[in-house]
Amino acid sequence: MASRPGVLHVPRGRERRVVAAVSEIVLHMDYVLMLAVGALVGYGLWIVKTVTRDDIPGDENFFFTRQALAVGLGVVAMLALMWVSPEALRRLRYVGFALVVVLLGVVLVTEAVRGSRRWIDLGFYQLQPSELGKVVAIVMLAAVLADRARTGIGWRAIGSALGVIGIPAVLIFIQPDFGTSLVYVAALVGALIFAGTPWKYFAWLGSVTLVLAVAVLWVLPANDIQVLKPYQVDRLVGFIDPSSDPSDTTYNVTQSITAVGAGGLHGRGEAGATQTNLNYLPEHQTDFIFSSLAEQRGFLGAAILLLLYAVVLWRGIKVIAIAPSLYQAILAGSIVVVFLFQIVVNVGMTIGIAPVVGITLPFVSYGGSSMLTMLALMGLLQAIHVRGRLRLER
Amino acid sequence: MAAIVLFAILFFRLWALQVISGDDYLADARNNQIRTFREDAPRGAILDRNGDVLVTNTPGTVLKFWPNSISKEQRDDVIQRLSVLLDLREKDIRRRVDAIGTDLLTPVTIKTAVRDAKVAYINEHLTDFPGVFVDDTELRRYPEGTLAAHLLGYVGEVSEAELKGLDPKEYRGGDEIGKSGVEFSFDRYLRGVPAIGQVRVDAFGRAQSAPTIIQEAEPGNSVRLTLDADLQRAAEAALENGVRRAASGLVRPSDQENVSWAAGGGAVVVMQANTGAILAMATYPTYNPGVFVGRVSQDRLDEAGLGDPDVQAELNYPSINRAMQALYPPGSVFKPVTALAAMNELSRTGERPILRPGDINQCVPKREFDNQVFRNWDPEMNRPMTLREALAASCDTIFYDIGYQFYSLPGGRGSPLQEWARRLGFGEFSGIDVGPESDGLLPTPEWKRKTSILPKGAFRGWSSGDSVQLAIGQGYMLATPLQVTRLYAMLANGGELPTPYMVEQVEKSVGSAEQPVVLRRFAPAPAQDIGLTPESVQAVRIGLFDATHDANGTGYRVFSRFPVPVAGKTGTAEKFVSLPKGYLSITNKPVAQNFDQAWWCGYAPAVDATVSKQVLAEISRGREPIAICAFVENGGFGGESAAPIAYDVLSAYFGLDLSSEDIQIGTAGSSD
Repeated sequence: MASRPGVLHVPRGRERRVVAAVSEIVLHMDYVLMLAVGALVGYGLWIVKTVTRDDIPGDENFFFTRQALAVGLGVVAMLALMWVSPEALRRLRYVGFALVVVLLGVVLVTEAVRGSRRWIDLGFYQLQPSELGKVVAIVMLAAVLADRARTGIGWRAIGSALGVIGIPAVLIFIQPDFGTSLVYVAALVGALIFAGTPWKYFAWLGSVTLVLAVAVLWVLPANDIQVLKPYQVDRLVGFIDPSSDPSDTTYNVTQSITAVGAGGLHGRGEAGATQTNLNYLPEHQTDFIFSSLAEQRGFLGAAILLLLYAVVLWRGIKVIAIAPSLYQAILAGSIVVVFLFQIVVNVGMTIGIAPVVGITLPFVSYGGSSMLTMLALMGLLQAIHVRGRLRLER
Repeated sequence: MAAIVLFAILFFRLWALQVISGDDYLADARNNQIRTFREDAPRGAILDRNGDVLVTNTPGTVLKFWPNSISKEQRDDVIQRLSVLLDLREKDIRRRVDAIGTDLLTPVTIKTAVRDAKVAYINEHLTDFPGVFVDDTELRRYPEGTLAAHLLGYVGEVSEAELKGLDPKEYRGGDEIGKSGVEFSFDRYLRGVPAIGQVRVDAFGRAQSAPTIIQEAEPGNSVRLTLDADLQRAAEAALENGVRRAASGLVRPSDQENVSWAAGGGAVVVMQANTGAILAMATYPTYNPGVFVGRVSQDRLDEAGLGDPDVQAELNYPSINRAMQALYPPGSVFKPVTALAAMNELSRTGERPILRPGDINQCVPKREFDNQVFRNWDPEMNRPMTLREALAASCDTIFYDIGYQFYSLPGGRGSPLQEWARRLGFGEFSGIDVGPESDGLLPTPEWKRKTSILPKGAFRGWSSGDSVQLAIGQGYMLATPLQVTRLYAMLANGGELPTPYMVEQVEKSVGSAEQPVVLRRFAPAPAQDIGLTPESVQAVRIGLFDATHDANGTGYRVFSRFPVPVAGKTGTAEKFVSLPKGYLSITNKPVAQNFDQAWWCGYAPAVDATVSKQVLAEISRGREPIAICAFVENGGFGGESAAPIAYDVLSAYFGLDLSSEDIQIGTAGSSD
């Protein structure tokens, strides 16, 4: 047992084992990462509080209190995942995967909210399976690729990985939630890179994707087969020239850029942020919260957030480097790629350099499932860090 | 590596947006919340010559929509909800919304005069109606109902086509603009200058601050017309009465006994003889301009006969101002033109002696020129007449002779009959300041050659018959009642052709107690001397006086005992008319045949030019001399259906309490 990589060496005796395990975690976790995440969570909560205070008349803390609750839940999830061995998760992967697929199926029969089916109403909580599914999908993906990697990554391995990601991604795509399904694809690409997939496969996959994109955007619509919803096509095409029609699909982007730009160096403050307060900026507590931050706190406030993200990414890459097994390295790699992808696409869309797709800003966008998922992923990173450090010590 | 590059891009872009061009975006964000709005100034009133109000304003509500402040999906939702709430077609709303394009400053007017309950509903559900707001407005009000509807005109939202021809500084999409009549021609005085204000709003268009007015509204100025509301009312009543009487068969139809009720329209024009000021201009049928107030509904237009072509035909086209827009053969009321042309053109060069006053010619039942027979209206008439008598009795054959003499002139002389008619205002726009008017048709040999639809090889030229018919105002000749009235005003004032006008002055709207402040007076164009010899004018005046005072005169029975001396001419002109569906003969067939168009044109007081001013004032009961034309479409004999209308209007003008109902018009001898 002691020789198994990544498994904590625990002395006999239940209490002693717990104390020992906790002390090993405490001794070997990444404090820089933990501090950065803590700062992000705190900063994010403060942003939600200041940005949404005018949204619900009579309850200026409506979003803040709910978000704080989600943070509480998320911290529990993070700690749990630090405790549980990533290897143990690997064994649970089929159960988890089945659960996620079932939940994603259930979501599809719920009533649509603003044209999309994304949430399961638990009464006290709106569960968004596509967010939590990220954790499971990443674990599953890392496991599949790590298994296959022994015999070298080839078409079989890529096929399995495609299956693992494809099933949830398609289910999410038809909700419809194009943005979140893209995150799954990003995880796949990240996992393939860290599994050591030869570059020629990427070339192949890239070509196939290109052909598919052309087909979906031009060839099939020309033959009356619509894969993307018209608004999705509009957003992708409108991204190329947002000023072509200020009132239509790119209205959000135009308002967002105006908000960000108006923030200037120091920001307009809470009361002065008219784009946010007067509702010109749509979805300013969720997908476009970065614009609100940039409007209220200016370049300095936005830069602080981006720097905190950079710290998390830097530490995340270090975790990949010390991961005790290929499986855990792929796992950590996918987490870092997902994290990077969400930040770049979300911030990018608010400042007009990425298409508008519904992707949340980690630790900042209002939404319990998103917060829970991100904290869980950080828990996984910490777990890998702890196991990696332990292995290096031996 | 990739992460560093991506982050660098984000930072660079943020820096560019926030620090480098931050000020521009800040301005954008500020403008985002500032909504500039224009509030139409209250439109000026339209007054009659005595200051009586013909058109004014009444407060109302208007529902407007700022489509460009919200996203497309929201806009579609709002349009759908508005369509349901206001019972408007979604397509119609969308058309108006699309019309303003991406203009952020102009709201779309969805509906005016919205009911209170619906206004309250929208105010309570503002979040369901982002961009929609309810505003106060002023709506046009017509206290006199249908009175002078065609002349006053109406206002409506400016169309895109109209905007193209207007100064963009003064007119904008969504503005109200005069569409016809005085409202159209004098729009720039009536409309005033709109207020410009600003208000802070949120993304739903809800005001976040009290509006600040940047530019105060300047209320529109009032326009004072030459019309006399009382006389206009009398003229419209007399006309309606007269048309009804003609239609009911009380008046003997000339030669179509079964379709006398085809009389369905008419016109009256009253003009000051010296100045050309229009005192009354009536047309029948008419409509209530109230149908154009607010958001115009197609149903209401159809009902009023202003929309659906079938209903228009059934109601005999109420939108046409028959007094100056419609064209009719003038018939015998045109004879003074022929007489004047003959005396000024032919007599001077000594062609024929009969054309001088006092010369005698035989009036006969029929005349034949170039194998064509032309009959007199009265087949019994066979006696020698002077020109004076020929005018009074309206002898056709003597005028046929004149027409034939004009035809027989050597080629180098041109078409002098038409030239004189043109100088007298026929075939030309009168130049009246409020439209629309028609210029009529004065047929010439050139015109006939150009417009003939006969096949090549057939004779397309001017024939003797054309000249003969023109001499009695028939054939191709067409004129508006306004043109004919002008001719009689010229005869009344002794030879000067006035330019008709309807707007006296623009004045500042002030409290009722104060004297109006005149901002601009429109000096009427002075009446033109058209070079007629005084003797020729005098000869025609005497003929027209006899027409109403000699026992053989066609207007004798109506006007001989009128307390103020009246001179005037009857006219009964044939016109080929296809009556609209619904007008069937007693044999149940559609009617398409010649109908008699009834005219009476004249002037009062008819006194000798040598009479002193004092005597004249006594005779005319202190009133200015006027010319008047009454016309009834398909009305039968002018002396029987048109003359009584003129009688009633003259009675009203001179303050007499007389009614044409009380006179014995009879059926014999006095009609034409």
